[in-house]
Amino acid sequence: MRDNLNTTRRTIIKFGVLLVAVVAFYFLVSTLCTSLYTMMVVDIALIYSLIAYSVSVLLGMGGELSFAGVSFMGGGAFLLANLTTGRLGPTLSPVVSFLLIIPVFIVIAFIIGLILLRLKGTFFTFATIGLVQMTFAIYNNYKPLFGGADGIAGIPTTEIFGTKLMNYNDWFPVLLILAVVVGLIVERIRTTPMGRSLAACRDNETAARVLGVNVYMTKVLAFTIAGVLSAMAGGLYAMLTKFVSADMFTYASSTKYIIMAMLGGVQSTVGAFLGAFIVQVLPQILSAFEGFLQLFWGIAIVLLMVFMPEGLAGIVKSLGRKFRAKNKKKVAAAAAAATEEGVK
Amino acid sequence: MSPSLFLSLLVNGVAMGMVYALLGMGLILLVRAVGILNFAQGDLMMFGAYICACLLLDFELPLYLLIPIAFIWFALLGVIFMFTIYWPLRKATYSQATIIATMGASIILQEVAKIIWGSQPRSMPHLVLNSEGDPAVLQIGSASLQWQYLIIIAVGALIIFLITQLFEKLYVGKMMQAACQDSYAANLLGVPSILTICATYIIVAIVCGICGYLVAPVFMVRSTLGTLQLRAFAGVVIGGFGSIKGAVIGCLLVGIVESFSTMAFSGYKDVTVFLLLIIFLVFRPTGLFKGKIGDKA
Repeated sequence: MRDNLNTTRRTIIKFGVLLVAVVAFYFLVSTLCTSLYTMMVVDIALIYSLIAYSVSVLLGMGGELSFAGVSFMGGGAFLLANLTTGRLGPTLSPVVSFLLIIPVFIVIAFIIGLILLRLKGTFFTFATIGLVQMTFAIYNNYKPLFGGADGIAGIPTTEIFGTKLMNYNDWFPVLLILAVVVGLIVERIRTTPMGRSLAACRDNETAARVLGVNVYMTKVLAFTIAGVLSAMAGGLYAMLTKFVSADMFTYASSTKYIIMAMLGGVQSTVGAFLGAFIVQVLPQILSAFEGFLQLFWGIAIVLLMVFMPEGLAGIVKSLGRKFRAKNKKKVAAAAAAATEEGVK
Repeated sequence: MSPSLFLSLLVNGVAMGMVYALLGMGLILLVRAVGILNFAQGDLMMFGAYICACLLLDFELPLYLLIPIAFIWFALLGVIFMFTIYWPLRKATYSQATIIATMGASIILQEVAKIIWGSQPRSMPHLVLNSEGDPAVLQIGSASLQWQYLIIIAVGALIIFLITQLFEKLYVGKMMQAACQDSYAANLLGVPSILTICATYIIVAIVCGICGYLVAPVFMVRSTLGTLQLRAFAGVVIGGFGSIKGAVIGCLLVGIVESFSTMAFSGYKDVTVFLLLIIFLVFRPTGLFKGKIGDKA
């Protein structure tokens, strides 16, 4: 009974902290980012956080490194662009098209996951690289659906509940809410039976199998979730910038998303969010060092992998552990002193 | 398709396949030695190409001086690579960390090359030139084959032969193989695993460097040369991890398929190559040849 009470109290506190953090973040960004350009950077970072979540689901929870995120992102973006500009016949509004992305990509990602996840570990990673190369070649060459090298322009302005999202400032609260809600869903997945079996597959596949976990289907489900998240990010990107072209969806950009998740901490949802922000925003702040920025990233990645493979979230966690251990020691010491006194 | 076109496409394909095979062989040597997939393989090649271009164009060294000096630089690159990217991570608990570190290394190599040599692509002269200074061609019937491609094939085949001999015939090679298969037992038997791993990295760096030198005249020396590694990955998977023979055949297959599909539908050649990869992965995940050693990667 007390335990139950404690957990509910803890959840309430957690939600309170989250709410305060989000509101603080909102006001911080609204006051700091005065120009439309900086607002665009923040908006895109929020969209990227969805892809970082998808990496976190597949790599952090499932232990499978996949590059396929950009393929689905491109798919989502091009589907939305086609539906909203009426290239396929009927013209739909952006919001309806965005909602359509979700069921369509559940099916597509599920089928691709069924095929690719027959492979294990490194082979799976290779297959996803192959997928990225293929989709890029198709997006870049097939004009009727993907506009070829010119891309697709002229996606109409998005309208939600009668308000038009005219510029990047209007988009910011919408994207922030979406990023937080999706983050909460991902965090929830972690504690569902599916999330736990996924973690079991990551840590020890044989043991998971012995305990009756269907390793294959669990991973396919994780791949599907990651695929849908990426496709949603692609759709949002198309709605925000009103233009889609294939050169966004290359192998090189997929490494960027993996780096985002790794930087923040692949095991942690908040970490993925922060990673997306750091990778997207830091280059703008340090634009004076433009020429050395990429080099700096490379070195940062290697150092990160050497010293803290769990990313920034890993540092926070280990600091927290140290702090708690210290506290425990203090309490224990006090208790020991008390008993000693009692003995005397 | 006329026979002359067929011949020249075949030669192009085999030559590119040979380049992929050299890269792929290096990948397999590393996977076997340390169990790490190297995502910076193509960038080692790119760096090798830059080193050669620098020695050849800036210092204007003759070939007999170029080769030993370039080899020393390649070996140095291999040792540095090992002690920065592999050594600190050898006990990493998180297996993906090592792979992602090599991705970081790939970015570092590209950026360092850009900072040292600038982002402008440099052109290298072909190895065989005719009297007017243009790339020389070999006429067979109506087919004209570039000597550069033929040299790539010959040198590639020679290197592959030498390395398989090293691992199968020589004592040093057997020591290296023992250290790969069971480093603990090999250590007990007195095989210093740090030296064998170091030797592997040096060999891989030298092979990549030679590769860079060979492809530089065809693709120009530029920092994006590393993307060729993706096709080497495809070839290695098609051939099967763990066996050099399989990887070489897989890479040659990729090269030939790529060359012929350029003819048929140029924009979609990547689609054919990687579709081949995915078909192989789905229907024959162990590759054409099963390795002697189980999946370590």
